[in-house]
Amino acid sequence: MQSKLSDIELIEQTLAGNQQAYADLVKRHQRFVFTLAMRFAKTREDAEEIAQDCFIKAYRSLQSFQGNSKFSTWLYSIVYTTAMTFLRKKRVDTDSIDDENNFIQIENKVSGYDVNNAENKSRSFYLNKAIEQLLPDDAAIITMFYQGEQSLEEIGQALGMEANTVKVKLFRARQRLKEKLERNLKHEAKELI
Amino acid sequence: MNNIEEILWNYIDGHCTPDEQNTIIELIAKDEAYRLKYQELMSLNKEFMAMEIDEPPMAFTYNVMEAIRTEHAQQPLKAAINNRIIMGIAAFFVLTIVTLLVYALSHVSLPTGSHPAAPASNLKIPDLKSFLSKPVMQVFFFFDVVLGLYLFDTYLRRKKVQKDIQ
Repeated sequence: MQSKLSDIELIEQTLAGNQQAYADLVKRHQRFVFTLAMRFAKTREDAEEIAQDCFIKAYRSLQSFQGNSKFSTWLYSIVYTTAMTFLRKKRVDTDSIDDENNFIQIENKVSGYDVNNAENKSRSFYLNKAIEQLLPDDAAIITMFYQGEQSLEEIGQALGMEANTVKVKLFRARQRLKEKLERNLKHEAKELI
Repeated sequence: MNNIEEILWNYIDGHCTPDEQNTIIELIAKDEAYRLKYQELMSLNKEFMAMEIDEPPMAFTYNVMEAIRTEHAQQPLKAAINNRIIMGIAAFFVLTIVTLLVYALSHVSLPTGSHPAAPASNLKIPDLKSFLSKPVMQVFFFFDVVLGLYLFDTYLRRKKVQKDIQ
């Protein structure tokens, strides 16, 4: 059962030495942190590593959290920096993810998976696959806006950007997501014919 | 505002002023292109909001807490020592120095009488040679060597930790 205490109360208890309070905080935020990590890492193992690292870093610097923003916003900024460091370490060229060659590869992976998993062919499945094909930044902004329920200002705080920049990026990310979703669905329709 | 889509997304997200909102409502009601685009974007918005979030492994919280506990256990001695202990040790040394000073001053025979400017050679300073015997010096040097090794080890450990973090 999850704690009914607020994030701030749990943080205060953690700082007073109650580790169970931090476990409650982890339980409360782990799903979204893991989802956000998935937007950068692509594999569950890597996402788990990023998410775990993020919670450990947050624990270490919990004293520096001043409560000026939501705890979740502060936590997501840690996820973002941790994921970026992770990507750099893994030498993944994030800029090339969106290029045509990689897109074809991912597209093939999607269709290959579909052949064997007919039950997964729902629209939400294609939406998730389309999100995987986005640039990490785009996927993170969409995830934070829709699943994390963060405002443009809060996303800006987490990613170190101006709210207006986030607004433009969100608009472009949605456009790209829409295009990729349509492309995947069109590809699927062709395969069925 | 560049195009219909941007205007409509702003409206859907609630980032418009009341005046802009009224204008857009009117446009949706009157203009077919706006109406169709609005319906399309609303349906996409619904889908985006309904996207499922991933579930981490069952033992995720346990793993995080275990990692924190392990890290806590490996915390360097410097960070684990309570400040009160440090203050206690400092107080002990201050007290010892003050006691020694008081002892030394109480055993100094100051010149008395009508010769305030008597030469310093008349002062009787306690004989330090009796305190600095060979075993005392050996213990002192041994302690210095141990302390030096400990500080060198601490320095190397800190360097290694910094390297691991990077």
